[in-house]
This record gives sequence, C-alpha cells and structure tokens, in this order.
Amino acid sequence: MMLLPCPWCGPRNVTEFAYRGENIARPDPNTADKATWRDYLYYRSNRAGWEREGWFHRAGCRQFFSIERNRTTNETRGVGTPDGAGDAAHSGDSR
Amino acid sequence: MSEPDKKPLARSPIAPALPVRVVDGWEVSAARSAAPLTLTDVTPLAKVSVKASARGPAETTIGVRFGRARRIDAGDLVVGSGPGEWLVIGGIGSAPAMTEHWRATTAGAGELVTVLDLTHGRAMLRLTGAHAADALSTICAIDLRDSVTPDGTAFRSSMAALVTDVVRDDVGGVRSYLLHCERSSGQYLFDAVLQAGAAFGVEVCGLTT
Ligand SMILES: [Zn+2]
Repeated sequence: MMLLPCPWCGPRNVTEFAYRGENIARPDPNTADKATWRDYLYYRSNRAGWEREGWFHRAGCRQFFSIERNRTTNETRGVGTPDGAGDAAHSGDSR
Repeated sequence: MSEPDKKPLARSPIAPALPVRVVDGWEVSAARSAAPLTLTDVTPLAKVSVKASARGPAETTIGVRFGRARRIDAGDLVVGSGPGEWLVIGGIGSAPAMTEHWRATTAGAGELVTVLDLTHGRAMLRLTGAHAADALSTICAIDLRDSVTPDGTAFRSSMAALVTDVVRDDVGGVRSYLLHCERSSGQYLFDAVLQAGAAFGVEVCGLTT
C-alpha cells in the first residue's frame, strides 16, 4: 500500500485519490499554436525520479493539491498547503 | 368508494428488520436489541448540506471546522465533513426548518453559501458499542483509537471500498459512529457493517425517537 499525504486529511491510502498527472502550465489558448497545444494535451515528460504532480482526494476532502513524488521509489515531499499558498500550479490545471 | 389515506410514506433504502412501524411519515424498524454492539438505520434523520468556500468567511459563522462535529443548542449535530462543507443532522421531519435556519444564519456570511436538504438522497447508519471501532477497523483504514479520532471527530474515507462520511458521536459515554453515504449504497454499507460486526455480536436495532 502506498500512502499519499493529503494537505487536508493527512496520510491516506493512494486508492482514495485520483491521479491528475504531472503539473504542466496551461498555454494561453489565444496565442498557442497547434504544436504547443498538442504538447500540452498529450505530451508528458515521464521522467524517472522526482516530478510535481496533481492529485484529487476523491474519497476524502474532495480537494485538488500538488505534491512531488519520486516515480522510482514513490517517496513524496513538498505537499502544497491546504490553501495552495506557495504553489502556483496548484489550482488551475495540473494536467 | 372512499379514498384511502394517501399520506406519503418515506422509506429508507435499507430493508427494515421486522416488525415495522411508522414514525413521522417514515417506515422504520421496530426491532429492539440490547446487544453490546448495535447497528441502527438512522436514514430518516434530517440531513442538510451546507457548502461554501474552503476556509472562507462562512466557516467563522458556522463555527465548526473541517474534521470536527459539534452539537448545537437545538440538538442538531453540525459536522465539518469537508473543507467548506458541512452536514447538519437533525430530528425526523425537521429538514425544512433546518434548511431555513441555515440559509438565514449564513445569509450574512459574505460569500455564496448553498444550503440543501439531502435527507431523501442519502443513507445513514449508527453503530454503537464498545467494540464499534474494532468492527469498523476491519473495513476502514483510518486509525480509530481515541488518541487519533476521539469523540467529535469527523472524516470522509473509504469504508468497505465505499466513500463514507464518518462521525464519532458517542452516546451516553458509549462509543458510537454515524456512517453517511449515498442512498443507493445504503443497503451495501449496512450489510458490510453487519458482516464486520458479526465477530463482535452486532445486532440490528430499530430507530428509537
Ligand atoms: Zn483530503
């Protein structure tokens, strides 16, 4: 079992969460060309090691948050605060 | 031919243990049990949802934070079931008055607050007894010891793989949990808790008012 620390609820079984994927800044839809938009929608870095990701606590507080997870070891660090302070990529779109 | 009495009769999604009786327009089980661990279908209790922003001004007005439950003067239980999300539990038939009360109370909170009667859309159980935590521990991963989740604790988690609002609400010093879920999952949760409590001698007890 993998535990994920929710900023609101504390450590919970990862099965309580929905994975939103690595945090990617959303390009401006008015100025982005097709290639940029396609990259935003479909391309992921998929690095081994630390990545900042978005998660949704669907079976708990039903809040979105960001966290750093090591994709090799599943260690976590740097969970966003409940109000998202200091985490610019937190609320909008963490796809 | 005279029209028979056509007062609407409300039913819980959970099949009542026989015999049944009618209380304030709800069909409830009249079964009684003095077992040390009892499971009661308390779905007829009024359930009102209050929603606002997380850590917004409404929280100050309502006075109960996420993760806690507190009984207010009227006897209603105000549960901080999520960030900016409350569930108020009251007596059978009191939902219209409660809805009115919380709309009025939060009207001046300075933000949009949504108050909604969920009574007929949800199911609720009460598991009471010294071994209630031991039984629930077999279907829920949360630490139910007093040091972590004392009386007055509220949380939402997975119970028998079902998203469930859990409120520790002891009755007369005896450990007791309210379990709240979607109406369509009520019978499933009831059966799962009965199964979990079997090793501790759980019995079904009808709702007493
Ligand atoms: Zn959470």
